[in-house]
Amino acid sequence: MREKNPKRLHALLLLFFDGFLCWPAAAPAQFRPKDTEWPSYAADLAGTRYRRLDQINASNFSDLEIAWRIKTDNFGDRPEYKLEGTPLMVNGVLYATAGSRRAVIALDPATGELLWIHGEHEGKRGGAAPRQLSGRGLAYWSDGKEERILYVTPGFRLICLDAKTGVRIPSFGNTGEVDLKLDDDQDIFPDLITGEIGIQSAPVVAKDTVIIGAAFREGMTPRSMRNNKGYVRGFDVRSGKRLWIFHTIPKQGEFGYDTWEKGSAEYTGNTGVWTQITVDEQLGLVYLPVESPTSDFYGGHRPGNNLFGETLVCVDLKTGELKWHFQLVHHPLWDMDISSAPILADITVAGKTVKAVAQPSKQGFLYVFDRVTGKPIWPIPERPVEVGNVPGEWYSPTQPIPTKPEAYSRNGVSIDDLIDFTPALRERAKEIASKFHLGPVYTPPAVSKLEGPLGTLTMGTASGGTNWPGGSYDPETHNVYVYACNSCIEPIGLVPAPKEVSDLNYVAGTAGKEVEILHGPGENAGADSPKPPQKRPGSGYVPMNIDGLPLVKPPYGTITAINLDKGDFVWQIAHGETPDVVRNSEILKGVNIPRTGQETYNIGTLVTKTLVIAGEGHVTTTADHPRGAMLRAYDKATGKEVGAVYMPAPQTGSPMTYMVNGKQYIVVAVSGGPYSGEYIAYTLPSTGE
Amino acid sequence: MRNVAAIVGLLVITSPLCLLRAQTPAAESRTVWDGVYTEDQAKRGEPIYHKECGACHGDMLTGGESAPPLTGGAFLANWNGLTMGDLFDRIRKTMPESAPGRLTRQQDADILAFMLSINRFPAGKTELYKQSEMLKEIRFESAKPSPKK
Repeated sequence: MREKNPKRLHALLLLFFDGFLCWPAAAPAQFRPKDTEWPSYAADLAGTRYRRLDQINASNFSDLEIAWRIKTDNFGDRPEYKLEGTPLMVNGVLYATAGSRRAVIALDPATGELLWIHGEHEGKRGGAAPRQLSGRGLAYWSDGKEERILYVTPGFRLICLDAKTGVRIPSFGNTGEVDLKLDDDQDIFPDLITGEIGIQSAPVVAKDTVIIGAAFREGMTPRSMRNNKGYVRGFDVRSGKRLWIFHTIPKQGEFGYDTWEKGSAEYTGNTGVWTQITVDEQLGLVYLPVESPTSDFYGGHRPGNNLFGETLVCVDLKTGELKWHFQLVHHPLWDMDISSAPILADITVAGKTVKAVAQPSKQGFLYVFDRVTGKPIWPIPERPVEVGNVPGEWYSPTQPIPTKPEAYSRNGVSIDDLIDFTPALRERAKEIASKFHLGPVYTPPAVSKLEGPLGTLTMGTASGGTNWPGGSYDPETHNVYVYACNSCIEPIGLVPAPKEVSDLNYVAGTAGKEVEILHGPGENAGADSPKPPQKRPGSGYVPMNIDGLPLVKPPYGTITAINLDKGDFVWQIAHGETPDVVRNSEILKGVNIPRTGQETYNIGTLVTKTLVIAGEGHVTTTADHPRGAMLRAYDKATGKEVGAVYMPAPQTGSPMTYMVNGKQYIVVAVSGGPYSGEYIAYTLPSTGE
Repeated sequence: MRNVAAIVGLLVITSPLCLLRAQTPAAESRTVWDGVYTEDQAKRGEPIYHKECGACHGDMLTGGESAPPLTGGAFLANWNGLTMGDLFDRIRKTMPESAPGRLTRQQDADILAFMLSINRFPAGKTELYKQSEMLKEIRFESAKPSPKK
């Protein structure tokens, strides 16, 4: 079933450009990326998104101008409107994934000139992939002589390229590729073409080991309680040989197997690591943020705590052996995947230096551990939580809740959270909320009933708090800077699943609506024959907004600076212009509303010597700028905004920075709505010399 | 002289036409507030939405981990001031993600009608077009325009 001879978009361009490239005359004896470069997805393997650059600073940020830009429309057979990549810049070349084919492009970092492109035509296997489009990025490796680029295709193949040419390295795996659907301690079903498994995050290379996780389709309404499992593997960067595997769902006889009662470890799937992995090369430890098991909101078919679902796992870099783990959510029921890179931080707590790891989360807790031992820096006691009554469900009576730092974003819904610009708006919000079950963090999903509740109204779950962009860390101040959606409401209702829809007892849905076979991305099966309409449009539909206004009060999205020495907030601000729908609301004329920030889940931050930089996730149209979004800079000490520059579309990939030829650049991916993907590089205006 | 007369004549004839043409878009401009879809069409669109779109964009159109909301302030801001043709073509070109263009134009238009109904734009007596060029004549305005005088 293996695909043969996939077509390759090799770099004819290279023939034209190769002669103009100025590669270093002599490679350094041992590769050490400069601190003016950006050699891995999050700047470094510690997940900091930090560079100690200061040419762009508070005095000139607003003067930034576009140095170059590149649309990604032609790097695939259709435009992409969700460009989430963060490029790398190393050894004088900028590398990125781009376009609907997830091509790899190499650019001149000063001019944006295209140096080479590599794409893989995967046919049906690519079309069936659970995680499509350009992904988040790639990895760079060098031994001081050879330079390699590694990335994973939508069809789940690890590709190794010569960084100078974009051509596959023949000695790696099978002519430059490793089929990640093979040699995975499981048979990917139903077959290698359509078998559900893939990944969109960037690979990590630590020392000579490439580490790859796994991702799946959205897990709200799976067809089955059975799915492929998201194991994590390490590969030799030179040969492509598998070095180790970590079973995120333990096999029989392995630690944690007994947390899957009634043999449910055998058939339950997902539980992958779909986001960025972090590594401490000195300690030789890898930090794996593991996602939810099948299915997101109903766990009746997997009784038990379900290790290592939603668990921060530390394994040995050389062997993949389990070192320690901490399960953030027992028996996951809220889609609180650990969604972003763990952040490594050397901090000082009560006078002692601690090698720590800090984990942002959807639920707005920043979990902080000693990264050697796994012991919490501040106590994380088990607290009683509500036990639900969904038939067949298994509930954990307690969940671990950090005592410090306090939650940096909302993770439950109460009446007090509802919009309160006017008493009338509050009343309308209460009416909507009255149809749902409300409660604090870990209030369980409810069976959806027409007479109520329609479900549990949640925040800090599937799309709340901090999602895949994660946070940043400043080793100078020991502060974590982290964006969070503070208003991403998620109604979670469960409905019985008809047999023809799913073999689960319950799937996500709302009473009054016919349960449909839901097709996620990657499912392109068959002709569709819509059933005859039987009801009014939108019946059972309850808007999660009031005439477009968010159901909850501001701030809608925040950036929080949290000091890891003390576990306290340094500052917290609303990030993003007040949405048009609020600013232009007739109802709110005359109401004084400070900047609200914006409701979105995919904002990544960048930290420099003096600034925290992040773009907006929504477009606005204001007196100061036409339709567009702003890339904003804040004083990292105070959170005060010190500058902003216009972007034609929202930030959808996290910004990065580097120096080349004496100039600092900031590159950010923008896209969304009607605007297809584009990388834009900003720099300061020429001084006229 | 004949040439001059011809030119003058042309000016006389064409000037009112130019004026008329300049006025036409304003006079015939329609927005999503003008009843550009029917309830029946939105009803047809609902099951298609739930089958083809809901897994990513959410049961309540509130978005998911991998897809933006199709209701609320962000959705409205994204498309405000553009046309229904822009929104329709975005769906045609890129959705469903795994097989863009797999749905028929009619199905896309029906889904769009459902989205308009969920966003509380009023239904009317004519169905939403399925031709991009015609849809470009309908502006997406997030706020209800003031009544015409």
